[in-house]
Amino acid sequence: MSKRWQGQVERGTTGALHLILWIALNLGRFMARLILYPITLYFLITGSAQRRASTDYLNLTLERPANLLDNAKHIHTFSATILDRVFLMADRYDYFDLEIHNHKLIAEHLDANRGCILLGSHLGSFEILRATAIVKRELPLKILMYPQHNEMMMQVFSELNPSLSDSIIELGRPDTLIKAQEVVDQGGILGLLGDRVMDANKTVQCQFLGRETTFPQGPMLLASIMKCPVFLFFGLYLGGNRYQIRMEHFTDRVELERGRREEMLQIWTQRYADRLEFYARHAPYNWFNFYDFWGRDDASE
Amino acid sequence: MESASPTELEVAQLIVETLNLEDVTAEEIESEAPLFRDGLGLDSIDALELSLGIKQKYGIQLKADDENLTEIFSSLSKLTQYIVDNR
Repeated sequence: MSKRWQGQVERGTTGALHLILWIALNLGRFMARLILYPITLYFLITGSAQRRASTDYLNLTLERPANLLDNAKHIHTFSATILDRVFLMADRYDYFDLEIHNHKLIAEHLDANRGCILLGSHLGSFEILRATAIVKRELPLKILMYPQHNEMMMQVFSELNPSLSDSIIELGRPDTLIKAQEVVDQGGILGLLGDRVMDANKTVQCQFLGRETTFPQGPMLLASIMKCPVFLFFGLYLGGNRYQIRMEHFTDRVELERGRREEMLQIWTQRYADRLEFYARHAPYNWFNFYDFWGRDDASE
Repeated sequence: MESASPTELEVAQLIVETLNLEDVTAEEIESEAPLFRDGLGLDSIDALELSLGIKQKYGIQLKADDENLTEIFSSLSKLTQYIVDNR
């Protein structure tokens, strides 16, 4: 089941990406956003699996049957945030109207020179964190990421912002988390996304939007091993140039009692899933997991 | 299978204890078999826990910028050699 999202190749081609990039950087955000309409239409027509996943999810969050227009809005929201990543990488923060909740939360924590985990998700744009970093200060941030997943996009973004690769720690190597531990030890912020399963062996069953699904144990395991505080981060796109940044203190410490490890991991992960659900209902179209999140296709096979 | 040296057995014991491995004993960890993925099947979370265990027991801090980190974790014998060389 861990292959559910990994099987989804990033669609589009490098050529198309470069064209959009050129328009974005030379003609500006307004012009570039006009391309989002044909792009949305294209994916709406050709991406039947994604559309199914979108409908399945939106039925639950909107609490009514989702229609084609909802799918279009969903895909459009996703494409808009991808396009905005171009401007974030090019340091064009002036384009955005950011509504930041709780912005002192992490700054105050960093002042004490203590490292922390910043746990995000594929709900909204984690990348907008780069802009919020500029608003207040430079955040000592490193993000855990699978490089092979969106290699093409990363390559394009790296051309825009060569320092990008410095802020990423590649997942999947034996030394990955030893690097991550050093970030936290040095008082930095370790960013990771907690909603996609990366390792089929380390998962936990949680309720999400009223249905059971699989979440990774990794984030909570990591927090317990690193013995550091965890904050939640959601960069929600509200349309136009508006983003709402929601940060929350999740816990000072994840403690897993001996002998109750699995049970405690489930409780902690469920708490994360509950917050994810809260924000998914708050900004439904920000859900960027365009695959069968509940693994229902697998189950029916 | 070549039998493990006493030090290797001690390190294997540390691996089993640190990672709470239930279906394998220290004696069963082969000295040349890979620790990660195909071999013992450890992952990067295990590597982190193991590095903390090594720090606690032997006072050796594994550094991420150590180019040989992947090599060090490649087998029980390599890991043991590294600990012997650095303690």
